[in-house]
Amino acid sequence: MSKVYFSTWNGEFINNINKRQEEWEESAYDLPVMYDSYRESKAFIGWDGVAIFNEDVDVIRLATEYAAQYQVYSEACGRCAPGRWGGRILYDMLDKIARGEGELSDIEHLKEVSKTMQTTSKCEIGKTVPTPILDIITHFEDDFMRCIHEKQPSKHYDADIDYIAKITAPCTDACPAHVDIPGYIEGVRDLRLDDSLIATRQTMPLAHTCGRVCPHPCEDACRRTNLDEPISIMELKRLGADYETDHGFGFFHPAEKKPKINKKVVVVGAGPAGLTTAYYLALEGIDVDVYEELPVLGGEVAVGVPQYRMPIEKYNKDIECVKDLGVNFITDTRVNADMMREFENDYDAVMIATGTRISKKVRCNNEREEIKGYWGAIDFLDKINLFEKYGYTISKEEQERYMLPASHIDLTGKTVVCVGGGFTSMDVVRCSIRANAKKVYMIYRRDEKTIIRNTTYEEYHEAVEEGVEFLFHSAVNTIITDEDDKITSLLIDKFELVPDPNGGRAQLVKIEGESYNIEADYLVPAVSQSANLDLLPSEWELKMTSWATIKTNGKDYMTSRKGIFASGDCEYGPMTIVNAVGQAKRASSVIARYVQTGEISLSDDEIMEDHLRKMRVYDKNEKVTGWLPGLAREVSIKLDAHNRKYNNKEVNLGFTQDEAMNEADRCMRCYYIAMTAV
Amino acid sequence: MSGMVDFKINGRDIQAQRGETILQAARREGIYIPTMCYISKTTPCASCRMCVVEVKGVDGFVLSCNTPAANGIEVSTDSHDLHVERTNIMRLYDVNHPLECGVCDKSGECDLQNKTLEFNVGTQDFSARDERRTIEHWGLINYDPALCILCEKCTHVCNEVIGDDAITIQFGGYSSKVIPKNSDTLDCTFCGECIAVCPVGALVSSDFQYKSNAWELNKIPATCAHCSAGCPLEYEVKHTSIDLADDTIYRVTNNFEFTSLCGAGRFGFDFDIKAEKDISAFSKATEALKNASAIRFTSMITNEEAWLLNRLKDKLGIKLFNEDARLFAEFMSAYSSVSGKKHYSADLSQLKRADGIIMIGSMIASDNPGVRYAMTTAAKHNGAKIIYAHPVEDALMQNVVTQFLKYEVATEEGVIVLLAKYILSRCEVDSKTNEYLENLDVGYLSAESNIGEDELELMMKSLSRTRNNILVVGIDVISHKRATNIAKLVALIEKYSNFSVLIVPKDVNTLGVSLICDLDKDKAVKNTVGYNADGDFIISSLPGHDLTIPALNQQEGTFTSIDKRVLATNPALSFGGYELNDIASVFGLGYRHTIDITKELPLDCGFKRVEFDELNNFLSELGEDVRGYKLTEIEINNPSDLQEIDDLPEFNGTIVYHVNPVLQFNSYTNLTKLLEKDTSLRGSAQFAIAARIKDGDNIEITLPNQVVLMRKFKEDASLKGMIALNPIFDMGHEIIKYRFQKSQIKRVNNE
Repeated sequence: MSKVYFSTWNGEFINNINKRQEEWEESAYDLPVMYDSYRESKAFIGWDGVAIFNEDVDVIRLATEYAAQYQVYSEACGRCAPGRWGGRILYDMLDKIARGEGELSDIEHLKEVSKTMQTTSKCEIGKTVPTPILDIITHFEDDFMRCIHEKQPSKHYDADIDYIAKITAPCTDACPAHVDIPGYIEGVRDLRLDDSLIATRQTMPLAHTCGRVCPHPCEDACRRTNLDEPISIMELKRLGADYETDHGFGFFHPAEKKPKINKKVVVVGAGPAGLTTAYYLALEGIDVDVYEELPVLGGEVAVGVPQYRMPIEKYNKDIECVKDLGVNFITDTRVNADMMREFENDYDAVMIATGTRISKKVRCNNEREEIKGYWGAIDFLDKINLFEKYGYTISKEEQERYMLPASHIDLTGKTVVCVGGGFTSMDVVRCSIRANAKKVYMIYRRDEKTIIRNTTYEEYHEAVEEGVEFLFHSAVNTIITDEDDKITSLLIDKFELVPDPNGGRAQLVKIEGESYNIEADYLVPAVSQSANLDLLPSEWELKMTSWATIKTNGKDYMTSRKGIFASGDCEYGPMTIVNAVGQAKRASSVIARYVQTGEISLSDDEIMEDHLRKMRVYDKNEKVTGWLPGLAREVSIKLDAHNRKYNNKEVNLGFTQDEAMNEADRCMRCYYIAMTAV
Repeated sequence: MSGMVDFKINGRDIQAQRGETILQAARREGIYIPTMCYISKTTPCASCRMCVVEVKGVDGFVLSCNTPAANGIEVSTDSHDLHVERTNIMRLYDVNHPLECGVCDKSGECDLQNKTLEFNVGTQDFSARDERRTIEHWGLINYDPALCILCEKCTHVCNEVIGDDAITIQFGGYSSKVIPKNSDTLDCTFCGECIAVCPVGALVSSDFQYKSNAWELNKIPATCAHCSAGCPLEYEVKHTSIDLADDTIYRVTNNFEFTSLCGAGRFGFDFDIKAEKDISAFSKATEALKNASAIRFTSMITNEEAWLLNRLKDKLGIKLFNEDARLFAEFMSAYSSVSGKKHYSADLSQLKRADGIIMIGSMIASDNPGVRYAMTTAAKHNGAKIIYAHPVEDALMQNVVTQFLKYEVATEEGVIVLLAKYILSRCEVDSKTNEYLENLDVGYLSAESNIGEDELELMMKSLSRTRNNILVVGIDVISHKRATNIAKLVALIEKYSNFSVLIVPKDVNTLGVSLICDLDKDKAVKNTVGYNADGDFIISSLPGHDLTIPALNQQEGTFTSIDKRVLATNPALSFGGYELNDIASVFGLGYRHTIDITKELPLDCGFKRVEFDELNNFLSELGEDVRGYKLTEIEINNPSDLQEIDDLPEFNGTIVYHVNPVLQFNSYTNLTKLLEKDTSLRGSAQFAIAARIKDGDNIEITLPNQVVLMRKFKEDASLKGMIALNPIFDMGHEIIKYRFQKSQIKRVNNE
């Protein structure tokens, strides 16, 4: 709810013109009434209408500036005749009226050009820019007539007002890294794959990676869904990255690296958040040292995500792209509190991006670390991936500890039970299949629908195809061990979902008498992970979240201690790669300013980004016009189960060029432009 | 899922291929939808929005150029509402468009003019403040942003068809314009494709600009005479002045909607020669022939001339020399002995549709731009995996090539046999072949050719999903001393795998000559008559001869192109002197017209009994190449065995590779006014150090046969390694077989 003077936002019509302030009707939407913590907004105007926050606003100039911003945003304009000329004419005519030189016929021409733009423009930006302008012309006709008849400039024509605009799109808004998705898809459609990759890399350095293993929240906000099915956004990202790699080009960075500014930042952890921080800081000319505990770079994507989902040679390309900017990596070095204290003195800023690498317990009876066959998911996947991807073998002691016949994980004849329901657990069960386990179970408290929602349909479906047995509405009650303290079987409880008679959340309730035993050699808990934050000097007393991660305000990612930043899973809790990238991208922008000015600030672009995210750009009820519905989403070919089960070949073969182009053609280029007057 | 879609346009039942757009289907059916930015050979630019249509039940207008037809939809292409919006778009296009039609090159053939008339836009109702825009001069190309309508056709063809990717749009709303990509000035191969596709006068030929009105020019359909691609073009000629009796070629244009031209084809048109009937020279020529022991000629001639020369050979009992065509014939004969067919299997249209290509033995961007453009199309539109095997990495091909196999100079036989082994490892072969391939010393071949087994495995991996595979074989293979065995290995790949084979003939009619003439090995004999080539008596259309004959833009006749297609060409300019047919007549071999020979060309080589005048000289409305006719395939039953692989030779030190720069092919292109004639030896920094020379030095190159060349040295940052590139277009008839040669480089005084 926002207090407004006038609003046509998203189909509402609030008109408080000539009403006393106390009688003002409120808007139903969360509009940016306050621009930031100390500045009020005058108006907000965008693809869906206009909201004016006080009666003194010069609406003609507001409309003019909105048309001007459309002209300024080169990335989204100049690509179609109606947009290129229409946008210019809109601006010129509005400004002519605002200057006091307009004529009545200009209003007619404005309406005419607007109609052509609305019906024929290439992208949504061209189609929607006239919408709020027409709203203003309709509802503030008197203001226009006054300017035209009296040949007077509009009321604040020369006033110093900030008009801050931002381009967005429903998918871009929903992407935690705010990737310019329509931009990279346009690159595929135009067969300009270098441009496609550059569009991605503006905010997402891990193009190979997030073209493969991103859970793509963007696709849930794809406007094409309103028409038929969402665009296969994620997979189209691979095209640009593969183009660069296949043709042996150097790296297409989104901007030229700036000259050194003699500032240095240390990043702890070389996972997605650390790599992203390093990448964007290095582009700004800042020296970056990255410390990594493991012998290899890449964090969980390297040692957690299996080869068949994320081939390391592709991920290494993303990492090389970061290295290409001169980032310094120090591996095999676990950072401790003493080092952190030194870092604080030696560097201009510190980024903590250590992830969450402790597997949480499943919370059942007889659950003890030392049980033979009890094996945390993180360590299990570390060992698999370090061997499969890099050839690191397992020591004699650990072979014994984990009952392995060889120096790598070979589960021949063994039964593996994983408790989970997220991506990590999927990796565990599918790796177990590839390690030749006799039988693999996944135990999950909830149902099939939920596991698909928490991961992806493909992931679940492929695991089933490979022979994983899913036991839904189940949980381990007790681990049963033998005299050697080795797991022999598990007692499993069955649950059912009982609706709350009072209309609250349905509860999982144990079904008495339905518990059963399954034989097991291994129990791999993959329910969640927590952060190991031993490295934080205790005297810093960093504020923590209630789930024991590092606390920031979620906007600038500075911790409670000045100059110390945190991003990725150690800040948010176990989440996605793209979330870590998004946080780190934002943080690196804040840090880049901080190391120069000592101030923590957000750019206008970032402030607008947060406003829009809060308002949500995607409207699932919007009716889409001007596109032929019913064009099926392309689906890339996956290796058959029997061709992939016992090896590490990449399962998803990716789009062929044909498929990619068909899919890119479905994209409706839903760019929008929003603007706040401050 | 069926491959066909049934729908309606304007009430008519239409069937379309799945994936075919509404616009494509409409055009195929002859239904008109206006466009300003659409060009058939690229992905839709989708910038003009003129092609919007209505679909029953769908709100708003749907773009027909990038919307595939769907089952059951009812499309209407014309309605009042559509007309209003299309008219409005034209009104927008016309805002501030400079009214300089009176002098604009494009006037009379301008899409903007045509559509403005079509939509009857007589006044400018909208206005916008105009901007200052500067005209750019990019060598052969001028760009006027004020005239540009930002249709993006130029950038699309440059990237998707040519592969230069040299221009891009600088987006900026109303200020958007075309700019050189990643460069201050235009750095490209100057094919001029951007000029061809420009619908207005924004991109023009700087040479042609302000020279003539389009409607005053006569178009002469012809086939390009510079390389074997056989590109269709039109010489545009005009009578210039009362002082000059003859026409002059003003420019070359092409059916850009479907075909492309390289810069040599487009700008290198003035290689004609003037002559009167010189009776004394003519009788000397016949005299010379009577006494001749051999005729030496090049493949820059028509099929009909080749046929006459072969008749002369028989009649006079002399030898016929043409090393280029002889090597090609020898290669093809060995190839046929394994494949069982007279001709290689692929053509350029198949190459455009390929998704897996292996190219070996050519610097293709300069050897045959037509092949390069087909590979660009395949790479861009099909995402083709392109493996480029050659000792020299060509920077021009980087955005097309997905894997570069850099082999050691002269090890082509080893490379091909390795390719055969890996490709055929997936195929069923007979036991003899199997044994042959099994017994190869892969370690030795790999070490000496420098093609690692990991590289071959990577190649096989990238070809694992491809379905339309083509092996393209270039001149360095044909001219190799082990060419016959290589040809058999190439045929083996064709025979047992799903690869088709495309062999690139070197000159415009190498293929035709190789089929028509019975050639002898060129030996230093006395009393030779040169026909466009060296000899004791020279009959030629090039300067420095004893009798003048017409150049290829002054002749009627046919060429046999890389597509195995017999293509007609017509004289753009007249010729006053004697022709080969006149000489042949003296020996009783002449015809009334040279083109009477066209139907006489040998049937047993695949030629057909078709009269010259029956050969089509145009593309179909939908762009299919229906020119001339395709050679008939001939079964050959003359089996021969593979030979054992020879020791792979070693080439060390400063190596020279005789290859032309892009746009230059031969003595004819060297005659033209517009094409750049840089004869420098280009080499890497490493080469310069090894040869102890530096950029700008005058140098002396001594070749193994003691031939000495004088060149300037140019250091080229795009090159690596110890191979320098030596142009041959200015070297007249110097015959160099295998184009890599060891050389001695010496710096000479630089004053």
